[in-house]
Amino acid sequence: MLVKLTLSSMRKMFKDYLVLLFGLTISIAIFYMFQTLAQNKAFVEANSLISSIMFVFHVGSFILGFITIFYIFYATSFIQTLRQKEMGMYMTLGAKKGKITQLMFFETFFIGIISLVVGIIVGVGLSIGISDLLMQQLDFSVEGFKAVYTSSILTTVIFYIILFLLTSIVNAWQIGRRSVLHLLHAGQKQDFVKVSGVKTFFGVLFAIILIGIGYFAMIEIEKLQQLGVILASVTIIPGTYLVFISFLPYFLKKLKQNRQLNEKGINSFTLGQLRFRMLNLTKVLGTVAMLIALGLGAMTAGISFYHNIEIQSSMFHANDVAIHQPTEQDLEALKSMDVTEQHTYTYKVTDDGIYFLKNKLIEDPPLVQAYNAQFELPKKQRVEDKLPASSYSLQEDAGSEELPENWWSAISTEINASYNMFGSTSVYVVDQAKYDEIDANDNEVILARVEDFKADIPQIEKIDKGQAQIAEKYRGEPVENTGSKFTNYVALKSLASGTIFMGIFLGIAFLMMMASVLMFKLLSSAGADIHRYSMLRKIGVRKSLLKKSIYRELFLLFLFPALVGLVHVIVGMQMFSFIIIEPYTKIWIPISIFFVIYGLYYLITVHLYKRIVLPKEK
Amino acid sequence: MSQPVLHVNHLNKVYGKKNENQFHALKDVSFDIESGEFVGIMGPSGAGKTTLLNVISTLDQSSSGTIEIAGTNITAMKQNQLADFRSEQLGFIFQDFNLLENLTVYENIALPLSLKGVSTRHIKPSVMNVAQKLGIEKIIDKYPITISGGQKQRVAAARALVHEPAMILADEPTGALDSKNAKSLMETLVHLNEKLNTSIMLVTHDPLSASYCQRILFIQDGQLYKEIHRNTTRNSFHQEILDVLAEFATSNELE
Repeated sequence: MLVKLTLSSMRKMFKDYLVLLFGLTISIAIFYMFQTLAQNKAFVEANSLISSIMFVFHVGSFILGFITIFYIFYATSFIQTLRQKEMGMYMTLGAKKGKITQLMFFETFFIGIISLVVGIIVGVGLSIGISDLLMQQLDFSVEGFKAVYTSSILTTVIFYIILFLLTSIVNAWQIGRRSVLHLLHAGQKQDFVKVSGVKTFFGVLFAIILIGIGYFAMIEIEKLQQLGVILASVTIIPGTYLVFISFLPYFLKKLKQNRQLNEKGINSFTLGQLRFRMLNLTKVLGTVAMLIALGLGAMTAGISFYHNIEIQSSMFHANDVAIHQPTEQDLEALKSMDVTEQHTYTYKVTDDGIYFLKNKLIEDPPLVQAYNAQFELPKKQRVEDKLPASSYSLQEDAGSEELPENWWSAISTEINASYNMFGSTSVYVVDQAKYDEIDANDNEVILARVEDFKADIPQIEKIDKGQAQIAEKYRGEPVENTGSKFTNYVALKSLASGTIFMGIFLGIAFLMMMASVLMFKLLSSAGADIHRYSMLRKIGVRKSLLKKSIYRELFLLFLFPALVGLVHVIVGMQMFSFIIIEPYTKIWIPISIFFVIYGLYYLITVHLYKRIVLPKEK
Repeated sequence: MSQPVLHVNHLNKVYGKKNENQFHALKDVSFDIESGEFVGIMGPSGAGKTTLLNVISTLDQSSSGTIEIAGTNITAMKQNQLADFRSEQLGFIFQDFNLLENLTVYENIALPLSLKGVSTRHIKPSVMNVAQKLGIEKIIDKYPITISGGQKQRVAAARALVHEPAMILADEPTGALDSKNAKSLMETLVHLNEKLNTSIMLVTHDPLSASYCQRILFIQDGQLYKEIHRNTTRNSFHQEILDVLAEFATSNELE
């Protein structure tokens, strides 16, 4: 009988449950998607490039799992607030405590199982869509990728069943522990919090000091290194909570004391609601602010990384392409590019070594990347060192002098005369006399800089394939990475794409979950507000004014954590300023994504809230 | 005599659609309340008291008939007009106080004035004035949760009065109070009625509270059943009310 009653009342509250189901489904779907990407063996093996990103996905699913635990507990406690009154009623009618506990357990678990099934289905769809997108963006082959992957499903199912079991037990236990009266009158009680002046003052002071230190640590990250990261996290997190615990209530109190503002229209009610809500929501708001900062930060960092691929890929090479033993096609490809600088050097290859002709190098020195002691981007510089000796060696060799540093990088990096090209054969730079003694054919290598590397990628890719064949000839093994600027670019791009993808998805997942935590928290306290709105309506407040009050109140509640999170992110991007050249370019992309998601949640919350609290009228 | 503050004319309220099971909550009800009058509405449960109050207070719409409050016909008004009308012309006192617990006593009382757009300068004197009349000026900065039921009902009365409405509608105001607080509240209402000439319509099923009124309308099954005037002391009026209620009981038994 009780089961029947529960089912019927669940049906009545279907719309409220729908919100919960939606949130759970999203979390499960995203978790599953990460699992498919991280576990798909055939796919990982077929794409050697992706294996480096795998680590990122594993870390991603770990963080996601962690946040999910937090989220599920919040979401399921929403069920509790929805149902406790009814449970209390059953108990007054004589239902045993054990039965109620049991009911609560099964109800929570039931909701969990439904969302698990729906979530995995949505997750499969999402993986198909995302993998397609990923493949296109990162030029991975779709070979071996399965959207329905047994081991991923298993992981997801096991993880969530354990989670749901835990939360169901907690939910049941909490309901079972409460007295009948408490359940019956749930929602009527108003937590009354008094703020003492001294406490508030120190709270505000500490909040400012802590956040100040944290921001300083993030800005000075170059000097503080890892210490800065630790310092920032131990100061900013408590600082953020303090802002919500002491500063905002204080701020609202001050706002309310402004009589001009408070006594205008319905403002006193809106502010009163806000103030009480704020006192009850401090921890949630603090958490939401932190997770907005994390989610938005992950997204912003990902996008900035992507933007920096090209700059990073040219960190090692001053020249864009080195063509050993150019063929007709290579020369043609070179002609079609917009070449700004071109050098040709000659060398001979024997079984014992690779010999470069010194004169040619000195007559027409190439550009190299010169590093300085600081961790800054290297500068392009023309090689000017004199080479007075008759023979220099790239490797340590008893018979020859060691090459000066800039020439070393010119030969091994720019000309790419290193293991990548020639295997373990030694490389020498020799004068004309020694060069002539060597009994081998002359070979040419062309070094070129182009106007726009990105624009010439198709040609450069062709050239690089030819170079790989030459390298295979010398090294006697299959060669995938010739060590050229092009291969660096491709590798970095895939890594950065992985990061940006991760960043965006983790960010979106965080934001969705966090915004819905706020939504659940607000909605679960909406029941207590019903009589306030009906009373206001009775004493003659226009419905439009009530709506306006709801919009404003919830707007401010959504706004505060968003603002704090946003400021954290904007300052936090300073941390990346030594890896990323311009961390703030395109920051509007993640910020607008954030505002769209957050805004949608705001509107949904307002809509549901209105449905709950506003008196129904014909 | 002066112009009636409330003029109810052939009022009908029918629940349910046509061709369905209809329920006539109010059948052809007509009565007036003069300005400055203190009128009680009594009747057994389900007689139509609450419906009558809801319709008069513009919270519900009548099926036919007209209601005029302070010369304005409210049956023809739109929702927003009605809301404005309520906020300007009517004051409410409810059984469960209906104070906003997230506002202080002061703010609760000030709310009707704020809603009317009264400037801050004028709000404070009005609030303090009415608070003084009701003896709640000492608790003015407290939150409702920290004051007693009797005090809460006084605050509610202050809020109903502060904007000087044409009429106060009180719905079982003593329902949640003990006898001592109930007596004190009724005396306050009488005081407001006599000293400030406030028109009050009181809906109650408590004969003792009703005995403070000048006139009582009894309704049963949606119709006006009887009307009695107070000509004697309150005690004998109380007895008179009890007699009428006894009549209800016997008439019900005869059916």
